[in-house]
Amino acid sequence: MKAKISSGLLYTVLTIYSVLVALPLFWMMISSTKTVREIFATPFSLPPQPKWSNFSMVWNKGIADYMLNSLLVVSVSVTIIVVVSGLAAYAMARMRFPGRLPIYLMIMAGYAIPIHTVLVPIYIMENTFHMLDQYIGLIGPYVAFAIPFSVLLLYSFFMEFPQDLEDAAHLDGCSTFQMVTRVVLPLSMPGLSSVAIFQGVFLWNEFLLALIVISDGAKKTLPLGLTVFQGEWSTNWPNLLAAITLATLPLLLLYIVLQKQFINSLTGFSK
Amino acid sequence: MTTTNKPRSSWFKREYLDAYILIAPAVLIFLFFVIYPLFRTIQVSFYDYGLTDPVMKFIGLQNYIEMTKDPVIWTALKNNVIILVGSVIVQVGMGLILAAILNRGIRYGRTIFRTIHFAPMVMSVVAVGVLWQLVYDPGVGILNKLLKLMHLGVPQQGWLGDPHLVIYSVLVVACWQYTGFMMVLLLAGMQSVPIELYEAARIDGASEIQSFLYVTIPCIRNVILAAVLITMIGAFKVFDIVYVLTRGGPANASQVLGTYIYYQAFTNNMAGYGSAIAVVLLVIAIALGIVQLRFSRGVGGRA
Repeated sequence: MKAKISSGLLYTVLTIYSVLVALPLFWMMISSTKTVREIFATPFSLPPQPKWSNFSMVWNKGIADYMLNSLLVVSVSVTIIVVVSGLAAYAMARMRFPGRLPIYLMIMAGYAIPIHTVLVPIYIMENTFHMLDQYIGLIGPYVAFAIPFSVLLLYSFFMEFPQDLEDAAHLDGCSTFQMVTRVVLPLSMPGLSSVAIFQGVFLWNEFLLALIVISDGAKKTLPLGLTVFQGEWSTNWPNLLAAITLATLPLLLLYIVLQKQFINSLTGFSK
Repeated sequence: MTTTNKPRSSWFKREYLDAYILIAPAVLIFLFFVIYPLFRTIQVSFYDYGLTDPVMKFIGLQNYIEMTKDPVIWTALKNNVIILVGSVIVQVGMGLILAAILNRGIRYGRTIFRTIHFAPMVMSVVAVGVLWQLVYDPGVGILNKLLKLMHLGVPQQGWLGDPHLVIYSVLVVACWQYTGFMMVLLLAGMQSVPIELYEAARIDGASEIQSFLYVTIPCIRNVILAAVLITMIGAFKVFDIVYVLTRGGPANASQVLGTYIYYQAFTNNMAGYGSAIAVVLLVIAIALGIVQLRFSRGVGGRA
């Protein structure tokens, strides 16, 4: 006899889980436009008069600056990560040279190293080189710790890259460098954008390194700034909720628009 | 490289040089910010040193001996293990069930469910932490409100204030954020199972549950293993969520290795001791990493 599970039951399971996931987010968003009184008295109803001023208040209290700081750090880091990992992955996948295997193994071993384990020496080094409270002090380790995953992903991407194009470029007299920058990288957009999305999301949300490197209030990145609000507004829930809603919206909207790319990238698939 | 039709030695040397130029930026940045600091961590772990101290004092294995007597280390390790076991059961287990339903159980709405379930993945852990701190609030949080509404008989409580409860409250938030991620990872694996196998199972009279157990699970064994290892590594790397929700409190009850390293090195001015804890975390991470590299062919790189 076949045990038949009704699809009604399956939809119920999926819906219950969806509600569990969405309820805190829904509560966050509706509460961000309420007064304190409304948040506590009627937590799950829409506000009669949405207080959009919560957002302008939070925007002017620093979140705009935190976002700009994050945008700067993330875009510079991601650009460097993509270029540097792209070049290295190409060399590893396509060229033979002495030392290739040891370098490959060293980078792969780095895949397993959590940034938590090197915070103390990074702090000491950056103190010595005056990189604390400088964006370079964030960007350097961000790029370094992104290299293993990015090189691994692009390595497997380049392994499938059609050899004919490179041969043709060589015959046309391109140097290796010209060929990589003018032929290979432009044609590798799916792989490169996958790396960019993955690292962009990760770095936009990165907190631990920023916590030890940046203490100057004007240079704080968004996650760091949110912890400042957490302390300042522990009783001002409308502001706090407006702040985390604003912090969440950009990536959430991008995710909804570019869903397939986000999901593939964040789960580690290059296509 | 075998493509050249002019195998002159000068050409080969030229290619070596090109290759070194291409990999140099990645390798130099990696050596400077990952490999060198790694050895410095190991070195500092043998010293009595705080970040504001003028000198470092060599004390051999003293930091490591100290660790065995430090009850907070054991609390932290225990908490990491609780998060590990809980995450594997809930995130991978629930992820597997949800993925199975989305894969073969329903006809409509796959995309919308997937979109919702995966959404918390793109949120900053700090924002998630701030949000859940309000959800858990003992006085006016919505969790207590909801439980009261539903008359489940669960007492109103401070979910983050009770030392026996706090790590499980943290675990719930981690599962809330990552179960959808696991679901998507497992679903991608399930979608590569050949449809013929299910048809064969159906002809043999297997129910949907039987074909899940005897077709799906064995076919995606490696994906499940990879998911378990990713979750295990994540459980030892946990930091943000604990820091934002509790700062390791109350009274160190929710301390994990990551937050305890930070506390010792950057709050308690014991960078030497913090580094010794970091070395322990490093050993665990590398051991799990080696297992992962050996088993997870095909996942994390390419389908």
